Amino acid sequence: MKEMHRLSAVELRDAFLKGETTALAIANHYLKRIEAYGSSLGAFLKVLGPRVLLQAEALDKKRAQGKPLGKLAGVPVAIKDNMHIAGETTTCGSKFLENYKAPFDATAVRCLESEDALLIGKTNLDEFAMGSSNENSAYFPAHNPWNLKRVPGGSSGGSAAAVAARLALLATGSDTGGSIRQPASLCGVVGFKPTYGRVSRYGLVAFGSSLDQIGPFATTVADAALAMETMGRPCPHDSTCLDLPKEHYKLTRDLTDVKIGIPNRFLENLKPEVQKNFLDAVDILRALGARTVEVDLDVLKYSIAVYYILATAEASTNLARFDGVRYGVRSPSAKTLDQVYDLSRKDGFGREVKKRIMLGTYVLSAGFQDAYYKKAQKIRTLILEAFEKAYETCDAVVMPVATSGAFEAGAIHDPVEMYLQDIFTVPANLAGLPAISVPSGYDGEGMPLGIQIIGPQMCDVSVMSYAYAYEQATKWGRIPPAFLDGGAS
Amino acid sequence: MKDLPYELWEPVIGLEIHAQLNTRSKLFSPAPNHFGDEPNTNISFVCTGQPGALPVINKEAVRKAVQFGVAIGASISRFSTFDRKSYFYPDSPRNFQITQFENPLIRGGTVAADVEGQSKTFRVNRAHIEDDAGMLKHFTNFAGVDYNRAGAPLIEIVSEPCIHSPKEASSYAAAIRAILLYLDACDGNMEEGSLRMDANISVRPKGETALRPRVEIKNMNSFSFLEMAIEAEVSRQIALYITHPHRSPIELIPPGTYRWDAEAKQTVLMRAKESADDYRYFPEPDLAPLILSEEYIDSIRDALPELPHNRFKRYVSDLGLTEYAASVLINEKALSDYFEAANAIANNPRLLCNWITVEFTGRLKDKGQTLLSLGIPPEHVAKLVQMIDQGKITGRIAKDVADEMVAAPGTDPETIVKNNPDYQPLEDTGSIEPLVDQVLAENPQSVADFKAGRDKAFAFLVGQVMKLTRGKASPQVVNDLLKRKIR
Repeated sequence: MKEMHRLSAVELRDAFLKGETTALAIANHYLKRIEAYGSSLGAFLKVLGPRVLLQAEALDKKRAQGKPLGKLAGVPVAIKDNMHIAGETTTCGSKFLENYKAPFDATAVRCLESEDALLIGKTNLDEFAMGSSNENSAYFPAHNPWNLKRVPGGSSGGSAAAVAARLALLATGSDTGGSIRQPASLCGVVGFKPTYGRVSRYGLVAFGSSLDQIGPFATTVADAALAMETMGRPCPHDSTCLDLPKEHYKLTRDLTDVKIGIPNRFLENLKPEVQKNFLDAVDILRALGARTVEVDLDVLKYSIAVYYILATAEASTNLARFDGVRYGVRSPSAKTLDQVYDLSRKDGFGREVKKRIMLGTYVLSAGFQDAYYKKAQKIRTLILEAFEKAYETCDAVVMPVATSGAFEAGAIHDPVEMYLQDIFTVPANLAGLPAISVPSGYDGEGMPLGIQIIGPQMCDVSVMSYAYAYEQATKWGRIPPAFLDGGAS
Repeated sequence: MKDLPYELWEPVIGLEIHAQLNTRSKLFSPAPNHFGDEPNTNISFVCTGQPGALPVINKEAVRKAVQFGVAIGASISRFSTFDRKSYFYPDSPRNFQITQFENPLIRGGTVAADVEGQSKTFRVNRAHIEDDAGMLKHFTNFAGVDYNRAGAPLIEIVSEPCIHSPKEASSYAAAIRAILLYLDACDGNMEEGSLRMDANISVRPKGETALRPRVEIKNMNSFSFLEMAIEAEVSRQIALYITHPHRSPIELIPPGTYRWDAEAKQTVLMRAKESADDYRYFPEPDLAPLILSEEYIDSIRDALPELPHNRFKRYVSDLGLTEYAASVLINEKALSDYFEAANAIANNPRLLCNWITVEFTGRLKDKGQTLLSLGIPPEHVAKLVQMIDQGKITGRIAKDVADEMVAAPGTDPETIVKNNPDYQPLEDTGSIEPLVDQVLAENPQSVADFKAGRDKAFAFLVGQVMKLTRGKASPQVVNDLLKRKIR
C-alpha cells in the first residue's frame, strides 16, 4: 500500500475494507499530518482528535464483528465549520459563535457519518461564508498549500486547503456564489456544487438560503462522486431539498456526441494565461469526442450585481437571529435590550459581515426594494431562462472557475474587485445548476487553475461524468510539493 | 361622551383577528403546540431560531386554514407563498416572522353575524397563515422569554373596513370565533390569547365617502374590551373633530398604534407612525410555494360541518327560537351542542333554550361554571324541561329542582322530584278546591273583571291560588277549577 495520504478516498476505503490498514491507523496518520501542517496552513478551526479516535476504534470493532461497512468506511473527512456536528462548536468563522455548541447534526454530516466516514475536524472559512479569500475568518486566515503566502480562495478555503494538502481526503463545503468551486480551483482539487436542493441544507448555517448548496471537495472526481452518493439524499427537514431518490454516479471517459456550450462573448477579456488554459481544456474535451457550440449567455454579465443584492438581502435576515439574546456571544457591556442587540452585533460580527448585512437591509428597504431586490429577482429569472435556452443546444456549459490563479493575501483591497472574483461561479448559484471545478493545469507562477463544467438542473451525474472524462485524460491533480511526505518528522 | 352628536358621525372599523390554530404541533416544527406548560419546554431547534434549523410547513395547519376559507366562502389560492417580515424583538426567535404577505392563502369571503337581533354580513379581505411569537415575562430585575408559543400557527383574518359600530365589531369577531370553533380549528380560548384582535378605527361625517385618518388599537383579547376600546376611540375622534372643526383630519388624528388600558378605560398611544415600520418583506427562501389541488380544496369543502350561521337559521326558522336566544346559543359551540343533545330528548326548544341560556346560566355565572364544566348531562336538563312540559312539576318547583341539580351535579331531576314530597304536584281537586273557593271569596272585584273580559284578572286569580299552594298545584288543575267555578 502507498502512503495513505497518496491514496484517493476510494483507494483508502478499499484498503481498509481489505484489511490492509485499520481505521485507527488512518485516524492517527491524518491527525499527525494535521499536527505537522495544520497551523502553518490555517485549514482547521478545530481538530476533532479524541472524537475521531473513538469513532475509528468503533469502526475497527465493527469491521472485526463482520458488520456491513459504509461507502466511506475509514475515509477522513473534514467539515466546514458552518455545518453542525452535534455537541461540537459551529463557529462559522465568527467571534459571535465562538461558544455555540451545535444542538443537532447537519443532515449532510449525518449522511457521511452513517457511511462510516471519520470526521476529523472543522475547517476554516470566511466569516459566515462571506468572502473569496478566507481572509475574513475572524480567527486566522487559511493559506494556499501551493504557496503559503497566497490565499486558498473562499469561503471554503480551509476545506480546499485541507484536501489539497491531504490533511483529509474529503471535505464538505458550502457554495453560495462559488465558495466550493473557486477555492477548489485555487488549491488544485475537485469541488462540486450540486443542483440546488440535491443536498439538504438542514444544519448548514444559512448565508443566502436560495443560493446555498453543500457539496464535496475531493482529490479526484470519483471521490467527489462517492461523497455525492452519500450526501445527495432527500431530507424531511429541508423543504427545498429535492424529493428524489439518491443517484448512482456512473462515470465514463467517453464524450462522444456530448455538446459543450461555450459562452464566447461572456468570456471576452480573460487574462491571457487563463484564456489559454481554458482553450487547451476545451481542445481536450473535443479530443475526447465532444462537440462545441457557441451559446449566448451575455446576461451573465449582470450576475455579480444580482448576486450581491439577493445574497445580502437573504443574509441580512438570516443573520438577524444573531442578537445576543438566545445564544452566541452577548456583549458584557450591554445594559439595555437595544445595547444587547447593538453591542453584541458590533463586537460579534466582522467588517465584511456588517457590510453585507447593511447592504442587504438597504436593498430590501421601503422605497429601494423595487430598484434593487425586485429588479435583481427579475434578472435572476432572465439568467435562468438564458441557461435553459443554452441547454436546448448543448449538454453542458464550460468556462473557467476563477479569473486567475491564487493571489497573494492582502493583494485585493477593492471590495468590488474581490466580488468580481466570483463572476464565473455565481451564475450556477443564481440558476440552481450543478457545477464542478476540475484542475486544468497551472499558471506561470505554478498556481493551480481549474475549469468549470455547468450542467442543466438535475444533471449532476452527467456533469460529474464529463469532469471525470476530462480528469482521466489530463490528471492535473497533484499533491503540493511541500505536503508530499508523511508529516511524521 | 354621551353628548356627542353620534348620529351625525359614522365610525369605520376594520378588524385583524389573529386566531391560533389548534394543531398538534407548531406551524414549522414538530414541537407541541400547547399552552400553559413550563416555560421553554415545548420548543425545538426551529422555534428557538437555532442557526441551521429550517421551517417545514405543518399540513394540519394548512388544512385548518383552508377549512376556514371555504367556510366563509372565500377563494382559496391554489398557489400561495410565504414571506419574511423583519423586526427585532426578543420574543421573535429569528427576528423575522414567516407570514404570507404577497400571495395569501385566502382572499375574500363573507361572515354573517347577528347584531342585536339583526342579521348583517361582513366582508373579509384576506386571511393568511403565519407563525406566532414567544412571550416576554418580566421579573423584578430581569426579563425572560418563553418560546413555548413561538411558532404556534396563526391565521390572520383581515376584514374590509365594513364595520360601523362597536357592537358590529364584537358580533363579527364572535361570529369568526364561532366558525373556528365549529371547524375545530381554534379552541377560542380568549383568556389564553387564542384569539387576539387589532382594530383600525376612523370616523367620518355621515355621507362622506372618503376615509379619514385611522389609528390602530392592538392586541385585544376580549369582546367587551374590543367594544369599549372602539367606543372610547370613536368618541375621542368625534370630539376632536367637533372641537376643532377647521383643522385638518390628519393633524387631529395622526396615525398611530394604541393599546387599550382596561383599568383606565382608555386607549393609550404606544407609538406614532412617523417612525414608519419597514418590515422589509421578501419571499421566504426556505419554503417552497404552497400549492394546493382543486380536489384537495373540494374535499375540504365537501366535508365541512354545520356552520354557526346555518345553525342559527335553523334555530330561528325550524325551532322557533328568538334571534337573540339563537345567537347566544350558537356563539358557544359547546353550549349549542349541549342544546342539540338535550333537544333531541326534550322536544320543547324554546323552553329548553330558556332553561339552558337563562336559568342555568344565571345560576352558574357567579361560580364561573357552565353546565358542561359542572358535569350536568344534557339528558338531565332535558328531563327537567320534559317534566315541566308535561305538567309534572310547576315552573316554580322546577327552579328548586334546578338549584339541587346545580348543588349536586349528576343527580337525575326525576330522582330529585321523586325523593321530595314537596315537589309532587298537587293534582287532586279535593285539596285545591277549598283554596280556590277562598281566593274567589276574597277577590270579588277580580272575578267581576274577568267576567267583564279582562284576562289579566284571571291570571291574577291563578297566581293567588298558586301562592296558597306554595307553587305546588298543577296549573292545569287550578285553571280548570277556577273556570268552572266562575262560570
